[in-house]
Parts: sequence; structure tokens; C-alpha cells
Amino acid sequence: MAALDFAASDGAAAVARPAAGRQARLRRAAALFLAPAAALMLVLVAFPLADVLWQSLHYANLVDPATSGFAGADNYRTVLEDEDFLPALWNTLTWTGLSVAGEYALGLAAALALAQPIRARAVFRGIVVVPWVIPIAIAGLNWMWLLNPDYGVLNAWLVDLGLIDHPRDWLGQVDTALLTVTLVNIWRSFPFYTISLLAALQAVPRELHEAAAIDGAGTLRRFLVITLPHLKAVSLTLVFMHIVWTAINFDFIWVMTQGGPLNASQTLPVMIYRYAMQDFDVGAACALASMSMGFMAAMFFVYFYGVRRRGGR
Amino acid sequence: MVVNRSQRLIAGVATYATLAVFCVLCLFPFLWMLDTALKPPAEVMSSRPTFLIAAPTLKNFAAVLLDSDFLVYFRNSLIVAGASTLFTLVVSVFASYALSRWGYQTVSRLVGGAMVVSQMIPGVLLLVPLYVLMRHLGLLSTYWALIIVYCTFMIPLVTFMLKGFFDGIPIELEEAAEIDGCSRLGFIRRILLPLSAPGILATGVFAFVAAWNEFMFGYVLINDDARRTLTPGIMIFKGSHQTDWGLLMAASVLAVVPVALGFVYLQRFLVESLSAGAVKG
Repeated sequence: MAALDFAASDGAAAVARPAAGRQARLRRAAALFLAPAAALMLVLVAFPLADVLWQSLHYANLVDPATSGFAGADNYRTVLEDEDFLPALWNTLTWTGLSVAGEYALGLAAALALAQPIRARAVFRGIVVVPWVIPIAIAGLNWMWLLNPDYGVLNAWLVDLGLIDHPRDWLGQVDTALLTVTLVNIWRSFPFYTISLLAALQAVPRELHEAAAIDGAGTLRRFLVITLPHLKAVSLTLVFMHIVWTAINFDFIWVMTQGGPLNASQTLPVMIYRYAMQDFDVGAACALASMSMGFMAAMFFVYFYGVRRRGGR
Repeated sequence: MVVNRSQRLIAGVATYATLAVFCVLCLFPFLWMLDTALKPPAEVMSSRPTFLIAAPTLKNFAAVLLDSDFLVYFRNSLIVAGASTLFTLVVSVFASYALSRWGYQTVSRLVGGAMVVSQMIPGVLLLVPLYVLMRHLGLLSTYWALIIVYCTFMIPLVTFMLKGFFDGIPIELEEAAEIDGCSRLGFIRRILLPLSAPGILATGVFAFVAAWNEFMFGYVLINDDARRTLTPGIMIFKGSHQTDWGLLMAASVLAVVPVALGFVYLQRFLVESLSAGAVKG
């Protein structure tokens, strides 16, 4: 978020401009200091990015270098005509929408509780951060164990409570696989919202709440009129960032279901991986990646020009 | 606050109840992992699982440490995460110093803007070209492949976090040092780095944890067991047909605990720097 801020603030931290004589020397120093970072970004981000666009227009196969040459829109057609594409797109939208909504709700609830005058806040804060520290690959495996149909503790408890009559294979059934992975993703990602929202909550001036309370505003009304507007800027940044991060997340779904059963939890990143690493069709993988990138760019513009410029802060 | 006592009591109870629910939610999966790791196979494979362990055992841990490649993966993760953290910090210190002091320069705006945009580009989209690039360079299944990729992804974030700390160091200090004949590099080494040490430590931990936890590139760019890192390595314990869950959970505990301990110890700094960014954003 600090990163996003930078572009908008136009280097507000810049000090008073030095005399013109030193300018050239400083420019050289700045260029020198930034050169390693710039070189890495150029070689490992800008070049691959251009490469994805380039490859998406060419036939490219990892095992068969003979198939090459200009493909035009063929790769895009391959993707769009793939019968898995539309379900994967729908899965991606479901997974992203539900994840971000759930994460925000949980994150806000935890942040509000932590912002109250409580004892041992640091301890509670430390505990809430735990899911975020566990690597996705390990969190995924751990939840597979909890949800195991034969020996999993959650199934046993659900049966004991009478909520279900027999243990279910939550990750192995077409109708529950995606939702289950989504819930686990919410569990793992909400602490980031909590910490960010907590910081914003602590920046709300107490006097505002006190004045409103004296004027007779109840808890709910003060929350709606004072707290929520103060959270608006942080919330927008959090939500937009996580829409992008969630839509392209590969790890969780790959670790827990590999997109199965019967592609029921396959999202677009999993499809990109399948094209490239299982079908070895680099062209199609790059075409799908390019389309995803277009979507990402669109999100970025909506965020930057729509929300930010129209007084989102 | 003008609230009466009963209202305050209700609010207090509601707050602690919410926090209790969150604590269970956040800690339970981790505790169950630990619990499973300490169970003998018969209790792991029980259809009536309980928290209490009739015959606790360290056999799972012994098996992971002695009879598997766990320590090799652990060492590989240490090497890759350590080296990429080190390189990231070195490159980022210079970059963020430039952005902090000379942010108005065209070159700073250009590189800074590129870094912001790069934050929006997800790794999975670059997976294919980076795989092909590493293959051309002959770096597949080497530490360098991961070190270079992790550096690239962490440099923008670390640079902006460090910039926040550098911005807080008054320009007067630098001017005074310059008058005393201290060179720019001398200033960075003698004054800037010691003064922002807590910030550098926190960002370093952040970068280390990110590299330690990364899965996808470790999974794709490394095919050699001798170079495999921990997160993809753990997947090996999950056999394709039969999974020894006790073993898998023991390996998970051993992979998580060192990082979690470091994180809990240093979370104060990290939360502060994250919060600083969040409030501004």
C-alpha cells in the first residue's frame, strides 16, 4: 500500500532541490544506485512480460521445437474454444468474489475487536496473525488432514453435532470442492486485513467518537458515520489488491485439489499451469496469461483513475 | 465516553467472546497439526480422533529427521531464502536511498513507477517465460534460479518499506556528515544503516518469510531432489495413494516452527512498518 502511495505522491519526500551545479552529479548517483534494481526488473519482469505477449501470438511447444511460427489468434482461439475455459473463468470469479468478501468480513470483525480497550492486545494480535505465517502449501495440507473423510477431526465433530449424518469428502466432491478451498483461503488471508484495518482504526480520532456520543449517537450510528468513512481508503486498497492476488493464486488450489475433482475447482492460473507444464502448449498458456494480464491492467486502471482520482481518499 | 456500566459490560463480553472465537479459529489447525505429529500411527488413523494422546511419541519426528530428505530440503530453503534476502536487502538499500533522497529525479520516478506496476503482475503469468529463460541459462534445478526470481519479486516491496524508514532520517544528519568530509557511501554505512537497523531487520524477516513460504516457483523450477526446497518438498511426504499423516504433520511442524518463532519475536517491527504503509494508503 505504501507502494501504491508512492506513485500518487510524486516523491513528496523529496528535499529542497539542490543548486543546479550538483544536479548532473546527483542524477548520475541516482541512476547508479537504481541500476541494479532496474536491471533485475527489466530482465526478469519486463522481458518475460513482453515474451508472454509475443509467445501468445506464436506456435510454441516445449517438447516439439519444430512447431513454431506466427499463429495469429490461433492460441487465443484454442483457449476460448476449450470447453474447460468458461467453467474455469466462472470458478475464478466465484473463488475471488467469495474469498475477498469473506476475508474482509472476518478481517474487519477481528480488527474491531482488537481496537477495543482490551488487555494483552499484543498477545491476541500475535495469535490472529498465525494463519498468515504458515506457508500456503503447509496450510493446505493441514486442512486436507482436518477435512479427511475417514480420520478427519472436523467430519467427526460435524457428525457428533448432528449437522451431517455421515463424514463427507469435502474436497473430493464436485459441488463442495471449490467452496471448501475458498473457506480455507479466507482463513489463511484474513489476518492481513485485520492488521491493516486495525492500524486505520487506531488512527480514528477519539474525540470524534466522544463528541458524537455526547450528541446522542448510538454505537451502530457512530460506526456507520465515523468509523466506516475512516476505513474507506484502506478498505479500497485492500480489496483491490486482494482481488488481483486472489484471482491469480495458484498454490492453494494446486496443493488441495489440483483443480479437481473433474475440474470442479479449476481456476485460470491452474489452467495456465496445465497448458504449459502438462500439455506443453506454451502458446496457449501465454494466450491465457495475456488475457489475465489484460484483466489485471483493467482492474488497475479502474482502481487508479476511477476510485483514487474521484476522491477515494 | 458517556456509556453506562451495563453497556460497557456487554461490550466487554462481546469483545472478549469475539477474540476467543478468533483465537480458536486461528490456533486450532496449527495445534491439531502438532497433536497429530505426536500421535502413534494407530491413534492418527482413528475414526474417533481426540486431542488427548494415549501414547505420545516422537517417532514421527525421528522418522522425518533421520529417514527422509527433510534436512536436505531444510538446508536448501535456508540457502535460497537467506541468499535472496541478502541480495534483496543490498539492492534495495541503494534503490530506496535513491528514491528517498532523489525521488524528484526522472530516473527515480521511472524506476519507482515500474516497481509499483510490477507489484500488480502476478507470478503465475511469468511462470512460463521464466521457466524457459532459466532453461536457456541452464539454471533449472539450481539454487540460482530461485534466488534470482525471489529477489526480483521482493525488491519492489522491500524497497518501498525501506524508503519509509529512510524518509524518517533527517536530511540535516546527512548534511552534517558531508561537511565533516563523509562520502555518500560512508554516510550510508556509518549513519543511515545503523539508524534504520530495526527497519532493515524487519524487512529482512519479511523477505525471508516470503522466500521460505514460496511454493510455485520452487515446485516448477527445481526438479532435482538434492536442490528441492521445503514447501514443495513437503508435498513429497503426501504420497500419491497412501499418505502417512503423522509423518506429514511432523514435517509441517518442523517447517513452520522456526519461521513462526522468528516472526512472533519480530512481529512488533513488522506490524509497525505494515501499519505505517496501511495508514498512508
